[in-house]
Amino acid sequence: MQQFANPTRFLSLANGALPYIWAVTLILFAIGLYGALVTAPPDYQQGETVRIMFVHVPAAWLAMLVYTVMALASAVAIIFRHPLADVAAKTAAPIGAVFCFLALATGSLWGKPMWGAWWVWDARLTSMFVLFLLYVGYIAIWQAIEETGRAAMIARIVAIVGFINIPIIKFSVDWWNSLHQPASVFRMGGPTIAISMLWPLLVMGLAYTFLFLALHLISIRSEITTRKLRNLQIARSENR
Amino acid sequence: MDWNANHSAFVIASYAMSVLFLAGLIIYTFTRDARARKRLAQFEKTKT
Repeated sequence: MQQFANPTRFLSLANGALPYIWAVTLILFAIGLYGALVTAPPDYQQGETVRIMFVHVPAAWLAMLVYTVMALASAVAIIFRHPLADVAAKTAAPIGAVFCFLALATGSLWGKPMWGAWWVWDARLTSMFVLFLLYVGYIAIWQAIEETGRAAMIARIVAIVGFINIPIIKFSVDWWNSLHQPASVFRMGGPTIAISMLWPLLVMGLAYTFLFLALHLISIRSEITTRKLRNLQIARSENR
Repeated sequence: MDWNANHSAFVIASYAMSVLFLAGLIIYTFTRDARARKRLAQFEKTKT
């Protein structure tokens, strides 16, 4: 892993991998959307509304996965002082925030026809909203604090402490009475969802994951370029 | 997908919102990357 901490080597690897990642992402989206909108049957209770699941659930999975990546990268930054760890955490945050917002918004659009309410202060929804606030707070720290080292240290602590919310989101439907349905894919005893709905859901989940990977690599590249430019500008001003 | 089914507007709105925000995120990411690389290239050009 140590060799990937070198920004130049990382950029070279990322630039080589990106076309393949984009190709896989497009193929997965094409197959996933075909499964979600064409082959998956309507639910016997929810009817066509169940198709919201294929954009809502992957967005929620990715919102949690991206925050986990941020917390891990922050831990790596503290323990091993990898030069890329802070960059990886910082650049993942806006992508995770968009996924989190989409999970909340599409969930609201699913909730209105099924529960009769756009929003309820239920444990799952509230913990997901807290995750969104954590994303916004994390981004705000990087924006508000000019000194990079100080911003990085505070952001690392927020990312690691905020990680406690991830298992709370996952198990909120088991720990508290909830309008939200319990886990039906990643659960002990295997999925309870019909295979005709499960495969498009998993393919869409993979498509979202590859999309995150592609966007994250590009964002890391941008951040490295921006930092390189800043260092060159400082070096030039010091030489004058 | 039966487009005339009950509540199909909610399904359409969910997909439209997802496409809109993900497309926006992709455009933002590419634009930011292109701008950063352009600024670095301009700086390196002025250096020489």
